Amino acid sequence: MNNTAFLALILLASALAAKADQSAVPQPSAAAPASGSKTVKLCDNKTTVQVSNDLPKTRAEGQKISDSLMAQWKASNPNNSWMQEEIEAHQITVPADNTKLIGTGQSSTYGTVTPQDVQVWKNETYKTAVYGSSVFHSGDKLGSEIAVSCDMCHPRAANTHPESYPKFQPQLGRVALLRDMINWCIEHPVRGKVLAPDDPKMRALEAYILAQRKGVALDYGKR
Amino acid sequence: MNRSGKMPHTKSVETRHVEEREELFRGLRNLDRRSFLKVSTGALAAAAAVGATNHFHSFLPVNVAYAAEGAALPGFTFAYISDSHLYVKKTNERFVRQLLRAVDDVNNLNPQPDFVFYGGDLAQLGRKEELDLGAQILKSIKAPLHMMVGEHDWYFDMGQRWNELFGPQNYSFDHKGVHFVVLMSVQEKDFWTARGMSPAERMHTVAGLDNAVQSAFEVGAPQREWLRKDLEKVPTSTPLIVFSHSPLYKLYRPWNFWTDDAEDVQALLQRFDRVTVLHGHTHQVLTNRIGNIQFHGMLSTAWPWPYAPQGLPPLTVQMNRPNPFDSNDGLGDGSVTVHADGLVDKLYNLWNRNPMQVKASYLSSGGKSDAPVAPTLASY
Amino acid sequence: MKQSVWGHPPGISALICLALASNASLSVAAEPATAPHGAMAIPAQEQRLDKLVTRFAPPPGIDPVAWATIYMIAGNETTPDRIALGRKLYFDTRLSKDGTLACATCHDVSRGFTDHRSVSEGIGDHLGKRSAPTTMNAALMQSQFWDGRAPSLEEQAKLPILNPIEMGHPDAAAAMAALSADPAYPGLFQKAYGRAPNYDDLGRAIASFERTLIFLQAPFDRFAAGDNQAMSPAAQRGLALFNGKARCVSCHMINSSNPIGTDNLFHNIGVSARKQNFEALAGQALRALNQSNNTEALDKLAIQTDMSELGRFLVTKNRGDIGAFKTEQLRNVGITAPYMHDGTLRTLWDVMDHYNKGGETNPYLDGGIEPLNLSEHEIDDVVAFMFALTDTRFVAENEAAFRAQQALAAKNRPFRDNALAHREVVPFELRVLGPTGLQKTGEAP
Repeated sequence: MNNTAFLALILLASALAAKADQSAVPQPSAAAPASGSKTVKLCDNKTTVQVSNDLPKTRAEGQKISDSLMAQWKASNPNNSWMQEEIEAHQITVPADNTKLIGTGQSSTYGTVTPQDVQVWKNETYKTAVYGSSVFHSGDKLGSEIAVSCDMCHPRAANTHPESYPKFQPQLGRVALLRDMINWCIEHPVRGKVLAPDDPKMRALEAYILAQRKGVALDYGKR
Repeated sequence: MNRSGKMPHTKSVETRHVEEREELFRGLRNLDRRSFLKVSTGALAAAAAVGATNHFHSFLPVNVAYAAEGAALPGFTFAYISDSHLYVKKTNERFVRQLLRAVDDVNNLNPQPDFVFYGGDLAQLGRKEELDLGAQILKSIKAPLHMMVGEHDWYFDMGQRWNELFGPQNYSFDHKGVHFVVLMSVQEKDFWTARGMSPAERMHTVAGLDNAVQSAFEVGAPQREWLRKDLEKVPTSTPLIVFSHSPLYKLYRPWNFWTDDAEDVQALLQRFDRVTVLHGHTHQVLTNRIGNIQFHGMLSTAWPWPYAPQGLPPLTVQMNRPNPFDSNDGLGDGSVTVHADGLVDKLYNLWNRNPMQVKASYLSSGGKSDAPVAPTLASY
Repeated sequence: MKQSVWGHPPGISALICLALASNASLSVAAEPATAPHGAMAIPAQEQRLDKLVTRFAPPPGIDPVAWATIYMIAGNETTPDRIALGRKLYFDTRLSKDGTLACATCHDVSRGFTDHRSVSEGIGDHLGKRSAPTTMNAALMQSQFWDGRAPSLEEQAKLPILNPIEMGHPDAAAAMAALSADPAYPGLFQKAYGRAPNYDDLGRAIASFERTLIFLQAPFDRFAAGDNQAMSPAAQRGLALFNGKARCVSCHMINSSNPIGTDNLFHNIGVSARKQNFEALAGQALRALNQSNNTEALDKLAIQTDMSELGRFLVTKNRGDIGAFKTEQLRNVGITAPYMHDGTLRTLWDVMDHYNKGGETNPYLDGGIEPLNLSEHEIDDVVAFMFALTDTRFVAENEAAFRAQQALAAKNRPFRDNALAHREVVPFELRVLGPTGLQKTGEAP
């Protein structure tokens, strides 16, 4: 939510509140504040701020109300900068750069590649890898009963060698894909619940591990 | 052996065992009784020296090599345990079990070492309960105990509980002619105040090895000054052994295998004839030499780290890549034998594997002689 | 009627078995043992073997490359003549010094090709220190004996014959001399190997015969091929646990190239630490290695009873091998009790209890052994799966063994330790901290 939108919402909210004030809603006289104030509510229907009736309706005051609601909302929704925080802490490798494709292509199959296309591809891919990093580094997200996370043995996904899969994995007694080994690690060293292959967390973990190994040649079966 | 007294054409199993052993030990004399926690690579060197067959895995005491070469007998031995990263037992009993195993190892050494050194990171998240649990377990060590702090012990309460339990975080002492210095080498420039972090958040950030939000480790100017003063009275001929949690050199910044003011600290140590640094934090076999300073890592009891993608010192012979099924692989404890001349042989007591020994002569010769056995599987 | 391990009543399974033409098992009426050490009489064993193994061919599902590697050994390619000679030798009591024992005594066709004893008994009623492994599928292992000291079946066969407390011949010449009492041998050796009888060819022939003792047609194999009814639901849950929470698969792997359930490695799972002061023993051995100018002293130590517990260490002298023994195969495990290198675990429930608590704590314990926190139901399921690994030619013996073991386990579970299994007490805790250990929460007072 950016500040412009917030401001618009505030103005709308205060307008609505003013309207409600004018309607014939009975107010319990004992609870009425001395100087009179109104409740300004955010569109999440939870976050509120009390605004005095005497407050001058200037842009500056409106901005203050908006900021107050924004700060409250951020405080009760701490995750909205998760991606930023994750990247700052763990520096996930960025996906391939496809900008060379801009302006190329034709016909209905791919169309002409636009900068927005390249941006979408990159953002979505990167986001999956960053989410994977957040799961990788969190015993809680992995469901660990013993507070162990993957990065304890694999800092920044070191020594995960995804290029060597599929291969015969002695710990599993059979040929394994990367996700099988991830699940083995989740079950045993991490002591969490194994993930279904299409679980968003599993897909994200694979994405992160592969992202960190970008550029290393495939070598399936390598011990 | 057989009942008729004649040598059988096809030997029984047991006789073959005996003969195999005899072949190895032929030519070796005057073996001392030592603790079982001793070297196999020393044996290899000794066996090679007397022309015996190339048995990698025989088991001999450390000092055989010295007896054979006529060098001075070792001065003394101390043991170490490091990097236990304890949670309370109800959270994670595996790390508790592994620290107990290390204590069991050290208590079973025969003869007992002169003292036991704890290399830091006793707790995982710096909580009082974790530190207290570690203190309770370490109380059952029979030999005298010296403690060193790690970042996992410090950044929840900035060392308050550590100081209460174990005293000052940097100090020095002398033992049998060697000057020992224990540093707090995991100081970090304040990254938490500006971000408004709580103690738990600060600790959680530092606890992530690969978390880039934290600062690089350093000894810091005040402590360097303390070190300088401490060393002022020590003659250059006195052997120096420095304990540090961070490596006191710059290996790999993204994992804080790093001491930011390493060069300044090394400068303070350089005038001494024989300096050895023993460090924790890296959870692996690590060997380095910078100028006249010899560096050895200590094993962890909690989990092994892989080798860093860059910056590995060329003298390091890696330990074998750990098997994930074996939750003890790549872990252990160890001991350090200090020679009369003050240089050390470092023994890595890797659990469920043959021990690895890195000798002073290997480092002194720049890696030309006495190299440890290479691993079967190196890090990827 | 009690549910059998096959998922349907036992009577029906017996009928089904008799209906199968060539590989039916005989009904198991109790036969009085008429050979020494509780073995079935040799002629009766041979008859039974005829019914079990009617032709020599790779079992379905086994990898053809793996099969070729096992059977086409240079210098001992498997041929009918060699098999016939080896079989005759396997059952020949002349190979023991006093003429009472054959290979088949301790590797008895009627007793799972082993002897159902904790430790085997040799001539003169000498008791050894190790349990006899089964000859079934032994051809598919990469080394023989509990400590892997024989690299092949050929080498293995030659050793018990010369061991003084097993079959007791003083040397190879004496063994061959004993055989010469049978005039058929020179001709058989000639046909098989093109030369006069000699001890090395004796080993080869016995190995060739043992390579026909492949028993890999278990309900598990039918299940793996796609028949979901082949194993009971309990056994299927057991298979999931085997591959998951119970961690068995990491050492006992089963796949088409390696179908018998072993990694062919050596692990200290703590059995060796159970009965004696194992660490004093290990320390003793290591100190003995330091003073070994004295051949006789070492010789005595090496064959002394206690040293046997050091297992693979005696072969490799690797410290990591102290107290380590070979991962045994799991095929037909239901009918080859008792278990472990010293035969101390009588039932598969005892085996599960041992693993569940994390073995016996000792400084050399393999790091892969740790408490498993399995519930009683989960233990039952894994046991059900293990009984589903028995070849269907032994279905009656398997049923009987299951009932007998279940009865024993119901009375007594001597190796169970729930405090350890459920991680309330951790290994090393009581050793290091004393009888009170840590507090329940593991927090300091």
